[in-house]
Amino acid sequence: MPPSCCGCLSQYTHHHLVAFLLTFFSYVLLHASRKTFSNVKVSISAQWTPSVQNDSAPAFSPEEIWESNCLFADEKQATLFLGALDSIFLFSYAVGLYLSGVIGDRVNLRYVLCFGLCGSAAVEFVFGTLTEWLHIYNIYLYCGLWVLNGLLQSAVWPCVVAVMGNWFGKTGRGFIFGLWSACASVGNILGAFLASSVLKYGYEYAFLVTSVVQFAGGVVVFFGLLTSPKEVGLCLESDTGLCPVETDTDSHRPLMSDEEDEVEVEVYDRRHQSIQHPEEPLAESPKAIGFLQAFCLPGVLPYSLAYACLKLVNYSFFFWLPFYLSNNYGWKEAEADRLSVWYDVGGIIGGTVQGLISDVMGKRSPVLALSLALAMGALVGYSRSPNDQIINAVLLATTGFLIGGPSNMISSAISADLGRQEALRGSQEALATVTGIVDGTGSIGAAAGQYLVSLIESKLGWMCVFYFFVVMTGGSIVFIVPLILREVRAMWRERQTLRHQL
Amino acid sequence: MKAGSRQLKPVVLVLVFNICFYAICQTAELQLCKMCTGTVLNGTAVAQFCSSSAGRIDGRCCLKNGTTDDHERIIGLDLSNCSLTRVDYLQGASTSSIIDLSLNPIANISDSAFQGFIDLNYLILPAGLVCPGGNTSWQKVEVKKENRLCEGQNNMCNQTGHMSMDCPENSICAPYGPGFFECSCADNYHGYKCLRQGEFPALQVFGPLGASTIVISFLLWVTQRRKAKSL
Repeated sequence: MPPSCCGCLSQYTHHHLVAFLLTFFSYVLLHASRKTFSNVKVSISAQWTPSVQNDSAPAFSPEEIWESNCLFADEKQATLFLGALDSIFLFSYAVGLYLSGVIGDRVNLRYVLCFGLCGSAAVEFVFGTLTEWLHIYNIYLYCGLWVLNGLLQSAVWPCVVAVMGNWFGKTGRGFIFGLWSACASVGNILGAFLASSVLKYGYEYAFLVTSVVQFAGGVVVFFGLLTSPKEVGLCLESDTGLCPVETDTDSHRPLMSDEEDEVEVEVYDRRHQSIQHPEEPLAESPKAIGFLQAFCLPGVLPYSLAYACLKLVNYSFFFWLPFYLSNNYGWKEAEADRLSVWYDVGGIIGGTVQGLISDVMGKRSPVLALSLALAMGALVGYSRSPNDQIINAVLLATTGFLIGGPSNMISSAISADLGRQEALRGSQEALATVTGIVDGTGSIGAAAGQYLVSLIESKLGWMCVFYFFVVMTGGSIVFIVPLILREVRAMWRERQTLRHQL
Repeated sequence: MKAGSRQLKPVVLVLVFNICFYAICQTAELQLCKMCTGTVLNGTAVAQFCSSSAGRIDGRCCLKNGTTDDHERIIGLDLSNCSLTRVDYLQGASTSSIIDLSLNPIANISDSAFQGFIDLNYLILPAGLVCPGGNTSWQKVEVKKENRLCEGQNNMCNQTGHMSMDCPENSICAPYGPGFFECSCADNYHGYKCLRQGEFPALQVFGPLGASTIVISFLLWVTQRRKAKSL
């Protein structure tokens, strides 16, 4: 084993920092453009409709300024269509995640990531800017473009998680990924800032700016990103030879070099005897895992289902919170927007702190379960929040901490754990596929949730929406119960063996 | 409308547009001036107005050069005793201050016939017709002999009364003929529904963005990917 290898656990190079920042900002830019779309909705629906007048009064003249665009009769229909676009996007995003994870493990991650960023930037440019410049307003064109955008955007998340998983090993992964998964929230803030600063020139410029910035991000990624330490001949900590690029450094490296994973290895060995045997010949070039095979990896299905429930709740907050606040408490839209940032803040802190705790414990599911159990209480508490912005913000941050935290953790750190688990024996490329499966299942949940929330809200009121959230959070606990039992039992056994040794 | 075309269309297009526009206008004007036999008779209201405002009489029209360009426009139109039955083709005379339609068998006037006649301040109609836009659109309405005189157009924007004339956000109300008003974009606003403000500073945004992209890409390539092993 080369001396530079695997011994020095906390030796992060500038390559690590650049990989962290590039993947971080890739997703920041992506989420910024998503946020832009939700922030320019009012302007877009104004552009698509003629101006509304009382029946008695004549239409405003000149007609070119006030009446010429009639894609929709009024803003209500335009809002419905924009909501439908959201659902279309989420579904195509979910489908795309399944596909792009599989592709990401087979093609160079850098190309897929670059393609996703630049392609989706181009589609957003056509959607928001070109159609406006050319005055082409067509529902089917918009739907088609948004499906395409969902598919292209879905290429990004599995790739960035896979790259992060390649660079940062299991030790400290919880903390680093917790910090890193703030990217979505940072993207929301950046998107809101970009949109609000150029919206006065017209909504098409909000799309233009975000898509050009995103395209530039894709170019930078293309020239700057190293997808794995292997590309520069580095080989650090729990890198188990899973890098997409085969280099000679790993040929003389034993596969069982991962001390911190050994407990889990034992557990998986005991439970999954059928999975490849450690004495297999050393992997030359890691082959990509099959889609169904990845689905059957231990932990993938439970976490996917749990994440579907959790992302439903999380994205419902993302989409509906400002509306709920202005609707339920009568607060102004700008105030509601500002207040809803606290949910994101809670999520960032929650993801980081819980990741850190899980690193120290060496187990993630007990931390998740505790946080989710508390989250059920927090949701009930939040639904009874008094009409006071400060109390509401505190409750919101707490809920964000307890729901956003686990959500961030599953989508990043745990996905990376699952994709590099010892059951794979370092012989297969699974990181992007597994991330795609987990996040894709989650996105299906989120897409269904957008419809269910509006349905429940209109039929039964907001209180029932919150009870629905509580039930969903409980559901996500139920799905990870088997994993908790397994991990707790493993901890118990570990302690007993320690006692025996003493 | 003016604001929109000024902001968006290239200069050439505007030129072509203007030439065509004036050509159409001029033929329409000529038709209007020649549609009835004879010229403006001395002693009529239009003739008096024309001489007092130093215009040139051509057929049934009083023409005068505009203040801003050389183009001659109709400032007075006398279609008196012209056997007209309808009046929906007068748009060529929308710059008129005075129009005489007396002694014509006109049955009725459509609402939009005088839309855009901003300067119209003296309209002579057969007595059987009401003034366009109703009596509230005129300062003074009186019937003299067989004629109805509509004098002094009211500004529809400042009126408090029967109809709310508020224009939408970012637009300013302006008179647009008797009984009509127009909402044109306020200063610095333009585009559909006057939603856009100012010009996008493309160079200030994309210049630094492009430059920093190139610099960062180069730096990262040198520090990161240069050493990367080829695939």
